[in-house]
Amino acid sequence: MTAGIRIPFHGDPLAQAGTIALVVLVGFSIVGLTTNIFGSPTTLGGPALSVPGPGHALGTDQLGRSLMPRVVAGIHVTILLSAFAVMIAATVGSLLGLLSGYFKGLMDEIVPRLADLMFSFPAILLAIMISAILKPGTPSAIAAIVIVTLPVMIRVVRAATLTVAEQDFVIQARIAGAGLGRILALHLLPNVASVIIVQAAYSISFGMIIESGISFLGLGVQPPEASLGSLLHDGRVYLSVAPWLVFVPGIVLAITILSVNLVGDGLRRTIDPLIE
Amino acid sequence: MTPALAINDLAIDFRSRRGHVRAVDGAALTAACGEVLGVVGESGCGKSTLGMAIGRLLAPGALRVTGDILVDGRSVFALDDDALRTLRAEELGFVFQDPIGTLDPTRRIGLQVKAALPGRGTDREVEAVLFEVGLSDAGRVARSYPHELSGGMAQRVSIGMALARRPKIVIADEPTAALDASIKSQILDLLTGRCRATGAVLILLSHDLHAIRKYSDRVAVMYGGRLVETGPSSIIFTRPAHPYTAMLLRASIADVPIGGRAEPIPGAPPVLEGRCERCSFAPRCEWTEQRCTAVRPEARFIAGREVVCHRAESVIAGVRAS
Repeated sequence: MTAGIRIPFHGDPLAQAGTIALVVLVGFSIVGLTTNIFGSPTTLGGPALSVPGPGHALGTDQLGRSLMPRVVAGIHVTILLSAFAVMIAATVGSLLGLLSGYFKGLMDEIVPRLADLMFSFPAILLAIMISAILKPGTPSAIAAIVIVTLPVMIRVVRAATLTVAEQDFVIQARIAGAGLGRILALHLLPNVASVIIVQAAYSISFGMIIESGISFLGLGVQPPEASLGSLLHDGRVYLSVAPWLVFVPGIVLAITILSVNLVGDGLRRTIDPLIE
Repeated sequence: MTPALAINDLAIDFRSRRGHVRAVDGAALTAACGEVLGVVGESGCGKSTLGMAIGRLLAPGALRVTGDILVDGRSVFALDDDALRTLRAEELGFVFQDPIGTLDPTRRIGLQVKAALPGRGTDREVEAVLFEVGLSDAGRVARSYPHELSGGMAQRVSIGMALARRPKIVIADEPTAALDASIKSQILDLLTGRCRATGAVLILLSHDLHAIRKYSDRVAVMYGGRLVETGPSSIIFTRPAHPYTAMLLRASIADVPIGGRAEPIPGAPPVLEGRCERCSFAPRCEWTEQRCTAVRPEARFIAGREVVCHRAESVIAGVRAS
């Protein structure tokens, strides 16, 4: 066998394309973060609003900052922020979903109702509200993503837990003397893990939309830091004179979200073939 | 001597949105060490509820109305959480209908058997358990995941797990209903053999009359949440005293002579909303008379068995007119 790189999702070209795109994007952002080949994202160097060219591969913004390093940093911030927030949402959501699905009863009346309540708000509106309450900045962007993705996570985990908890092996574990912690961690969690992973992938792409949405409105990541959303926010004024300031981050954002979604679809097809 | 298992006047309701439904309606039963007690009855008669109640493993909506279950003289409903866990782990073993569902699909067999063993459990103990239930390739089975086993092998594993701590009572709820006919008797041979070898009581819940007759020392016939006839299987299967037992025997294909016809029992089992104040079988019974629909029959000892029927003497004698 050739010593080539094996791409996951064999026989699923869309998911493979998504994986490659994501690896390239993340690779760019890691290189940009650790080395200085793209230049610094915050240095005010060149002339303002210069056209893409040899000096500045993607041109410069209104303050003369090179766009290339800012986009690379933006990818990093947008993906990482969303992934971090989704990790929190997945942890909390899994725990609540597991408890709600396992105990049923009162617990199962309260938790899903709360989730429904949160679910009934338009996501962006909820996110804006949270940023407004907390004061604009990275923490409020994270909080907004957590709160918006949490209800779906709870619902999905609860539904999966309901079916798993009915199985005899859960009763068998109780007979063997297993306590609540052991049943949740060793028997229920591994059996709903696939659902959590797939839902987390979708949540990350949704989180990126939320993040860029509130950053575009000026409520998320604050200057001089850059996220793809805040780059759109900064560039929108110069759309007619320097369209690259909007198009480049816009296209990169679209590709990032699309590739995360494709990977999510691939994960779902691999892990849970019954859904198809 | 206290019996290994004693169930006294047990009544269990299930709460639903439309009110209470009674699943077990004053059941009484005792079982002694080392015996195989078969419990027969149609679906919905309360067999499974009775079995799960022994380990206090009822669904959250279930409610004990009256009565008690004593395991080795101790009431299972009076135990605190720790004592209940100890009781389940040390004195009870359960074997369920679907062997694959009894095993966690995400864990290797060896790990699951280990969890059923006392203390930490070692690989050698795991292999000993698997070997005892006839899985000669114990090492390979221990490394397998449940989906890699056949139904029969998985049921052997779950029998091994149920008996790993030498429980006093083993409850087997339709242990062969999900298996091929060809391996049913192998599994029942194994189950009854292991229970006899360890001195455990085996409560065999089934609607397979043929298997119950072959494997049980005593039989309890369940109808409408009550044990309507209980006694040695040799007596009950040859001279039933309860009309329901008699009809079950005539409905069983295995007992119909060649060229004969199995007779289905007309009607449907009752859905009780509380204590039944008459004979719950009266609407389907061919022996019904006035008092059957007016007075709740109580258990009586007649001709070597306990029976819950006003007309048991006539049923044994075969005299229908009253």
